[in-house]
Amino acid sequence: MTAFLQALASGLALGAIYGLIALGFNITYATTKTFNFGQGAFLVPGSLVGVSLLLLAAGKPHFGNLSQQEMTLAAYGLATVASVVVVGAIGVALYYCAIKPFVGAGGLNWVLSTIGFGIIMQNTALAIWGPASIAVPSPLGSEVWRIAGAGIRPQEVLIAVVAVAVMIGLDIVLRKTRFGKALRAVAFNPQAAAIVGINVETIVILAFVISSGLAGLAGILIAPITTASVFIGLGIALKAFSAAIVGGLTSPRGCMLGGFLLGVVEALVGLWRAEMREITIFLLIIVVLVVRPGGLMGARSVEKI
Amino acid sequence: MNTLISRRALGALLVSTGLTLSLPAFAQNEIKIGYNADQSATGAAELGLAGLYGFQAAIEDLNAQGGVLGRKIVGVVRDDAGAPPKSIQNMNELIDNEKVAAVVGPTNSGNALAWLHIPQQKKVPVISHVATATDITARYAKEAQNYIFRVSMVDREQLALLTAYAVKASKTKKIAIIADTTGYGQAATKDLQEILALHGITPVGIEKFGPKDTDMTSQLAKLKAAGADMVLSGSLGDATAQVLKSMEKMDYYPGLLSTWSSINTPLVNIAGPKLSEKTIFAASTTEDANDRAVALNKRLIAKYPNMPAFVSAAQGYDAVMLIAAAVKQADGTDGPKLQQALENLGKVQGIIKLYDKPFSKEQHEALGVADFHLAQWKNGRVVKVDDAVVKGLTAADLKR
Repeated sequence: MTAFLQALASGLALGAIYGLIALGFNITYATTKTFNFGQGAFLVPGSLVGVSLLLLAAGKPHFGNLSQQEMTLAAYGLATVASVVVVGAIGVALYYCAIKPFVGAGGLNWVLSTIGFGIIMQNTALAIWGPASIAVPSPLGSEVWRIAGAGIRPQEVLIAVVAVAVMIGLDIVLRKTRFGKALRAVAFNPQAAAIVGINVETIVILAFVISSGLAGLAGILIAPITTASVFIGLGIALKAFSAAIVGGLTSPRGCMLGGFLLGVVEALVGLWRAEMREITIFLLIIVVLVVRPGGLMGARSVEKI
Repeated sequence: MNTLISRRALGALLVSTGLTLSLPAFAQNEIKIGYNADQSATGAAELGLAGLYGFQAAIEDLNAQGGVLGRKIVGVVRDDAGAPPKSIQNMNELIDNEKVAAVVGPTNSGNALAWLHIPQQKKVPVISHVATATDITARYAKEAQNYIFRVSMVDREQLALLTAYAVKASKTKKIAIIADTTGYGQAATKDLQEILALHGITPVGIEKFGPKDTDMTSQLAKLKAAGADMVLSGSLGDATAQVLKSMEKMDYYPGLLSTWSSINTPLVNIAGPKLSEKTIFAASTTEDANDRAVALNKRLIAKYPNMPAFVSAAQGYDAVMLIAAAVKQADGTDGPKLQQALENLGKVQGIIKLYDKPFSKEQHEALGVADFHLAQWKNGRVVKVDDAVVKGLTAADLKR
């Protein structure tokens, strides 16, 4: 029973990470029907920029190890804001380099261009930080919280709380605000949106800034669990992308649900056989896509001619 | 125009010939030893860096005694940044341009396996002072002359020691294996199974995890359910740290035995100082192993206060001492003669021990399981484990 609870707790913690990153796919898909295939690489500057700023603030070189004393909640908060801003700004570059030339043109050129942009960024990070990983202490301490025998770390709870908060925020923005309405208008019909006075390009750029900023946020949030390193993003982002597909790319709630579902399935299958985890997850994705092509909570897309 | 070019070419030729002619005369007073190891990039870089400190200290000591054969020893240092192409390039450069007599290195086994053919073909002896893969010294073992030697841990040997400890320390004889899915982890799993079989033990569980996984609670839950009281981990230091963190989550602490990659600071940085004390790993020596080790450590720490991995400093030091002894015995730096001398050395005092015929035609490992210690982290430093189980270990326990 404890083993089951532990798997559940670990799975939810892992799922929150997937869900948070999956949210980054949602907003650009909602506006441009494209997303950043290099999202995993965007986690890298997210974690490394924040951690390096903390190191520099502590009077150390940008590459090294932070002690627990240097990691206060306030400093971590500021580093998080900095990471979001920096990676959000990279989102503007992503738009101009890898999305704008292809958006609305049909075809899948943007797939390769976003992957390429991600690889360029990852290798730039490699040149700056090198391949070694940096251990990052959690601002909430390293002790384990125990619930009925199952252990979970404060940082994992923090990620889950932030992920759910971001999901609710995105949900409200998309459904209730003028910006959200503009986003949906652009998604529905860019020409019509332009005619009614919406600056389509600004809206699209904003969508990419938000998406990249979310990757920055995810990067610094997961660093205390995964360590900060140039190679951390790829595996996680692939799972996050799977989560978005399973839950529904068009819905923030779906992305979050997909994340939690994948995390829990992974942990529970791991209780049985570790090597069956990936097999089960990708079988699940195929089944979901066959039964509900838009994902569990995605809008049923009707192709209009 | 043509004449002009040929005149220039002639000039250049004259200058370069002059340089080549003057080089041997200049080099006669020096013996160059190359150092090619990662000192900056991967998680193992600190082993390469500490190894360099030991390498340099040995050269200092030799030169203080007037060098070898009356010639000054010069260390030529290259950083391969953990990248095989860079490591290959360094190796060619050290051998072809710098004309080193021997090379000490590398840090990463993968890099060694990428360039072993170069020193072997060019007949320049290499002593691996950090990399542990069993194949490093074995690949050319059947050649007329094998130029690759080692003063470091060997995977099979260290796993034999870990298994011996686990078998002795286990009350229930329920022993499990956990390893990552990398080549290193899976090779270790295979070795561990074979060694356990020699002890007549079948592991109660064999678990795998992805090299970047951060939560191994599901795998550990199965080992706990199987009643394992000793867990052997064949993984790199970062992964072992994540295993410890998952153990903490579950409040399940079987004895955890891990490879010497746990001697790296990433283990302490990721798992934290308290948790990192809960794994025991193999080490060829520790800073408190004997008086020579204590002295060298004191000397190096005074110069490099942050040096964490004393063990590879000692191995780097000893590698240079063995090369120096071989140069003396061969009365020069001719590659094949040097190789012969290394295989026929007598007594050479090193930091780790007094080497007595450390190498032979069949044996290119200066250190074996009998030389290894068990160590653990205590207050941020690596110290020797000297509990009742270690004291009770006999040669017969070290099955491999």
